[in-house]
Amino acid sequence: MASHGIPRHSSLEATGEARQQELRRIEKYRELEQVVRQEIAGHQYTPETLQRLSELLKKNPEYYTAWNYRRRVLQHEFSEAVSEDSNEAAMDRITTLIKTDLQFLIPLLRSFPKCYWIWNYRLWLLNETKRLLPKPTARRLWQEELALVGKMLSLDSRNFHGWGYRRFVVETLETLSSEEESEKNLAQVEFEYAKKMIGTNLSNFSAWHYRTKLIQRLLNEKSASDEERKQMLDDELELIHRALCDPYDQSLWFYHQNLMCVFDPTTSGQTMAPNLTKTERLDYLRREIEEIQEMLDGAEDCKYLYQALIDYTLLAARVEGTRPGEDQTAQVLDWLSELKKLDPLRAGRWLELEESVCR
Amino acid sequence: MSLASGPGRAAGLLSDQELCPEKHIEYIKKLDSRKDELEYWLTEHLRLNGLYWGLTALNLLGCPDGLPREDAINFVLSCQQNNGGFGAAPDHDAHILYTVSAVQTLVTLDAVDELDNRGLGGKQKIGSFIAGLQDQETGSFMGDEWGELDTRFLYGALNALSLLGLLDMVDVAKAVSYLQKCENLDGGYGISPGAESHAGQVFTCVGALAIAGRLDLVDKDRLGRWLSERQLDNGGLNGRPEKLEDACYSWWVGASLAMIGKLHWIDGAKLAAFIIRCQDPDTGGFADRPDHTVDVFHTLFAVAGLSLLGFEGIAEVDPVYCMPKSITRKIFSA
Repeated sequence: MASHGIPRHSSLEATGEARQQELRRIEKYRELEQVVRQEIAGHQYTPETLQRLSELLKKNPEYYTAWNYRRRVLQHEFSEAVSEDSNEAAMDRITTLIKTDLQFLIPLLRSFPKCYWIWNYRLWLLNETKRLLPKPTARRLWQEELALVGKMLSLDSRNFHGWGYRRFVVETLETLSSEEESEKNLAQVEFEYAKKMIGTNLSNFSAWHYRTKLIQRLLNEKSASDEERKQMLDDELELIHRALCDPYDQSLWFYHQNLMCVFDPTTSGQTMAPNLTKTERLDYLRREIEEIQEMLDGAEDCKYLYQALIDYTLLAARVEGTRPGEDQTAQVLDWLSELKKLDPLRAGRWLELEESVCR
Repeated sequence: MSLASGPGRAAGLLSDQELCPEKHIEYIKKLDSRKDELEYWLTEHLRLNGLYWGLTALNLLGCPDGLPREDAINFVLSCQQNNGGFGAAPDHDAHILYTVSAVQTLVTLDAVDELDNRGLGGKQKIGSFIAGLQDQETGSFMGDEWGELDTRFLYGALNALSLLGLLDMVDVAKAVSYLQKCENLDGGYGISPGAESHAGQVFTCVGALAIAGRLDLVDKDRLGRWLSERQLDNGGLNGRPEKLEDACYSWWVGASLAMIGKLHWIDGAKLAAFIIRCQDPDTGGFADRPDHTVDVFHTLFAVAGLSLLGFEGIAEVDPVYCMPKSITRKIFSA
């Protein structure tokens, strides 16, 4: 919103010159805004208006109504191109208009990567290519977007807008490609991309999340057998175990938890391996619990390990269809008392859990 | 009557553990007199939101009459466009984000009738604007005529329509099934199906489900865990794993926890202390983090966060609507 992450500054308390400068800046800004508004109100959709809109938006990219003005000016130019030119010339003109505008947005996106309106406007512009241009031309423009969003995500690998935009670009590219083209299905390519991003930074939960969704898609699309699904699950468990040599990383535990949904009868239907037998589930859970217990050695102060041990012990009992046995209950309570010490912030949660275990 | 998010001025020297409500009241009241700051003009696209943020914060701080009522109503009505929706300021395009602020403001001021007296076509006209934004196929909502989809808009639509008693103008069941598609295996919700869980989007999705009367669809245990892990050692809350704390997440996370009955899963005292460290004790107002520049957005969500925690001297907030509970109680019991 208006001021995220801006250090508090001591005031330039209206000394003569500074104050005059501020007033001049206000005057200039308001003048520009007035002119643009009048031109739009008078349907003056000219290149000059577009130029002034660029100036205004560079000063204030959050001015959403000005982005709408820009859409109107461009739509006007598009329809003029169509009505005045031969088909081919019209397509060229529209392509140039769109390309130029996409260029205009790049420095703005770099300076304001969290501004919703810029991302939206860019998507709108690209969607216009689908409406107005031949498919191969539109596709080329969308292809370039994949490179752009890759660059944006390398600058800020958790940018929420960037990841959402990427999903959208991929979806669109797939619909714009015909059967024989390699972009008909980008799931494998994107899987590799997510892998690369995780390799760069293991704590990047956005990339782990993307990986989850892509695995599902890859398996569903090739109608994977239960055996293949199990193989994928084994690979993922192995990967996360290796990553968890740093057990203090929350992102890794959320991915682990995500994999463990496979063994939970209430969620397994939405996971990569929905058809495991009860025995298989219990085997997996037992192995996980052992694995995590080993991780405790040297990381006795890591709260995530205790959380996982408790969760999966209770889950195993649920899969079994029984209540935890006396030994298990004692162990869970033991882990809980460690958790209470290590993680007092969530004391209320541990207390509630304790009550439910003892009930 | 309009408010800007003006920057604060000096670093605080006061004890940072004490809330300074009078300062915050003064800060909000003066926001509209900052026309000699460029920031005022650069934030015109937030003016109507700013009025809602300021007015609500004033209400929670026990100063419901802090802004001149008549001016506030006039300003809201001056933002309405011919299509029935509201823009951020006069002559700004209509968008759901401002329409919901307009409705919340009018309800808080007990002035919905003014829509019939002086508005463009009464509340029905607003209802038609919002209903026209629902995507018939998926049940989700666009922000405006240009078609962007986001669960924030769906929440805004249900929020405004329910306050106006017009929820039956849209397909609530379809909206609910769309929200379910935004749920992830960690129990959280994303901006659209397939998107990573994000505390802001959790608030909008859970809030929308609450309005639809479908909180039974939320996996409260799983979501409660994800939300409670947002609290960091400094007491503040973040919006996603491995991100920094921010005072506004006191609201997005806190209200979501409150809606699913799990607010006691985090340390309220430590959160309150963090929020108070984000205030500027000299100029009033709250920032995202201690010693940062304050604005009215963070001021509301910090105060509302304190209200959720039952902080003494702050009125009770409705976790679904982010409005004074006394007002929503009256509306929905009528």
